[in-house]
Amino acid sequence: MKEQFARWNILFIQYLKRDWKKIIFWVLGLGLFASAFVPAMEEITRGEGLLGMYETMKNPAMISMVGPTPIETANDYTLGAMYSHMMLLFSALFAMTISMLHIIGHTRKEEDLGLTELIRSFQVGRQSNSLAVIVETVLINILIMFFVAGVMISFGADSISTEGAFLFGASIGVAGIMGAGIALIMAQIMPISSAATGSSLGIMGLLYIIRGGTDISNADLSMLNPLGWTYLTYPFTQDNLKPIIYALIFSVITIIIAFALEGARDMGAGYLPQKEGRAEAKKSLLSVPGLFIRLNRGIIISWLIAFIILGAAYGAIYGDIESFIDSNELIQQMFAHSGVSIEESFTGTIMMVMAALVAILPIAIVNKLFSEERGLYLSQIYGTKVRRSQLYWTSVTLAIGVAIIGILFAAGGLGGAAISVMEDSSMDIFDFLAIGYNLLPIVLFFTALAALTLGWMPRLGKVIYGYLTYSFFLNYFEGMLDLPEPLLKTIPQSWIPNMPMEDFDIGIFIIMTGLSILLMLIGYLGYSRRDMIEGD
Amino acid sequence: MSKILRVKGLQKRFGKVQALKDVTFDVEAGEVVGFIGPNGAGKSTTIRILLGIIKMDSGDAKIFGKDVWKDSFEIHKRISYVPGEVALWGNLTGGEIIDLFMKLHGAGDRAKRDYLIERFELEPRKKAKGYSKGNRQKVGLIAALSVDSDLYIFDEPTSGLDPLMEQVFQEEVEKIKEAGKSVLLSSHILSEVERLADKVVIIRQGEIVEAGTLEELRHLTRSTVVLETEKDVSKLRDIKGVHDFVQRDDQGIFSVENKYLNDILIEATKLGVKKFEANPPTLEDLFMRHYKG
Repeated sequence: MKEQFARWNILFIQYLKRDWKKIIFWVLGLGLFASAFVPAMEEITRGEGLLGMYETMKNPAMISMVGPTPIETANDYTLGAMYSHMMLLFSALFAMTISMLHIIGHTRKEEDLGLTELIRSFQVGRQSNSLAVIVETVLINILIMFFVAGVMISFGADSISTEGAFLFGASIGVAGIMGAGIALIMAQIMPISSAATGSSLGIMGLLYIIRGGTDISNADLSMLNPLGWTYLTYPFTQDNLKPIIYALIFSVITIIIAFALEGARDMGAGYLPQKEGRAEAKKSLLSVPGLFIRLNRGIIISWLIAFIILGAAYGAIYGDIESFIDSNELIQQMFAHSGVSIEESFTGTIMMVMAALVAILPIAIVNKLFSEERGLYLSQIYGTKVRRSQLYWTSVTLAIGVAIIGILFAAGGLGGAAISVMEDSSMDIFDFLAIGYNLLPIVLFFTALAALTLGWMPRLGKVIYGYLTYSFFLNYFEGMLDLPEPLLKTIPQSWIPNMPMEDFDIGIFIIMTGLSILLMLIGYLGYSRRDMIEGD
Repeated sequence: MSKILRVKGLQKRFGKVQALKDVTFDVEAGEVVGFIGPNGAGKSTTIRILLGIIKMDSGDAKIFGKDVWKDSFEIHKRISYVPGEVALWGNLTGGEIIDLFMKLHGAGDRAKRDYLIERFELEPRKKAKGYSKGNRQKVGLIAALSVDSDLYIFDEPTSGLDPLMEQVFQEEVEKIKEAGKSVLLSSHILSEVERLADKVVIIRQGEIVEAGTLEELRHLTRSTVVLETEKDVSKLRDIKGVHDFVQRDDQGIFSVENKYLNDILIEATKLGVKKFEANPPTLEDLFMRHYKG
């Protein structure tokens, strides 16, 4: 038995040295994500904010996303109660995901890459690597627990107790450890690392969806769900320690099972056979558009789902919108535009936010052509009778297509959910779609900027995301801060009338669309003339 | 013979680095040309220019008499190319990628494809992310060999292949050659070039330092001679054309400039020749001559 784990401690120390930068990034990134929003939340809860938030968060759509709260009257809904309600489940998911990726990356992935073979040729036990990696991951999650608790306590908020803060941190920590256990089992069962990653994340996703259902119908059932053992600790309200114990028992059992499975298999083998693909391609793949759709399929589908969920999530709060906005001066300022109903004003602002998010997808698709170029994936295709124009315009057209569909999904999700929760709405679904498509030229403009860089300065493709982020924040805070006009004019969001407060302007719509197409054409001139950049 | 490929005075600069200084060579119809040189000498850069992937700064390069940059689309209808590093999309299977490349090329032969998959022992149902380097290489090669072309350009085609598969590749190239097609074969593996190539082009630091048939190149280079004589063999040491003379007992080992071979043999017979061996330079000797010192 001991032989199996020989010298694991040497590997462990080695891995801490190897990973120390990653560990710092991990602990800080996850830790701050989980803990640092306390002051921002305090801002929201000013005045009657908590009451409004309580109403909003009681919405079944919200509960299915973030989980329930044990609080039964709005008066008991403290800052701590709201914080753990809103943040704990997401933080736990985040912790679980990183731990899963870390475990598989340093077990199964290294096995696939042949690194394990090298390590095992030394005087190292057959399971020493797994033990070292799991101990490392557990240690990191314990660090996260202390870090999160420390940061939260440091804000000194009344309702954030020391015990609660540690429970909050521990809930996140055990989520990471459970994720590590699940991932280590999958690393043994699956034939290849990507399948292990996919199935681990898939299990997490499934647990998330199941608990969404049980949280609404019967929260006791969520207590049977490993993912439930994180947020059901209810820090700052009930301070329930039991789920943590369940989670630790679960982690120990999964890790023991994983080691048993690993001990009984050959290196590089799995318990499930490798899934075979097609020996021959389907017709739909056999063209440049077919290939590009296939390559971008995953990212397109996942983003479109994200758009519709996000739209629906915003839409779900229309029912409580007035109490929500009335309750907070800051938010009032952001949404108050005179002369229109509060729904309309809210829709205008939210749609602007969503247009910026929708723009990410077409930018990603255009940038993808360069990452394919750089990664040498297209090298052999350059030698076939595929013209550069085909590569460029297929990418750009696909990007324009998803921009149009993305707005449909975001505006449709928002409108659909909003209309279903409002008792008497002043807006119908076409109003929502019109407001959404009014912003299409903004999305096209960002797409065109990505195309322009692809043609002339492809290495700067990622800068477009920076400009998008800048424009997002400038636009978002425009209402709150008194920003000078010339500064506002640096972003395309300000060039277009803000429907429904302002009227649609066909002239501007056409000019901006035309400008975008012109930029795409200029980008093509560059793309058709420049050297392809391969491999650096 | 008609010229399939003609490259003259090719130059290319990347920033401060002058990658190609002067690249000039030809490929005739039905000819296999070995393009050899160490890493970084400019082989892949030259090939990328020929394919219109990058643009030359100056010089002239034509395939089938057409400009490699302006008419690349026309040229690509009749060439096959396998890059030095075959990167494949992890989520597609080898079979799918081969089909895609064949379709994008246009003139594919299904039967040939299936035959090559079998010969190269590729598992076409496997996702590409599970392939080793050698298997990725096979995908590129099968796709390129399954289509009918007039010029085949291979950049380090056998890197990662095991010796058996190298053999299969060489046999397939011989078939192409028999069918009268041309091949530009960039390679490190000199035995492979020696076996397949009619002509060799040696590139060093962006310049062609040697080009010609193996025969011609050999003639320019010294042969190694082992000579055993009855009388003192050391008398040969000072004859013109003899270099690097080493004596071991009665044996003299030295290299000879081919044009002086006759004079040396006349002198040697005076000493009473007991044993005579002459070895022509291998490609490796030729190659090393340009890279040593």
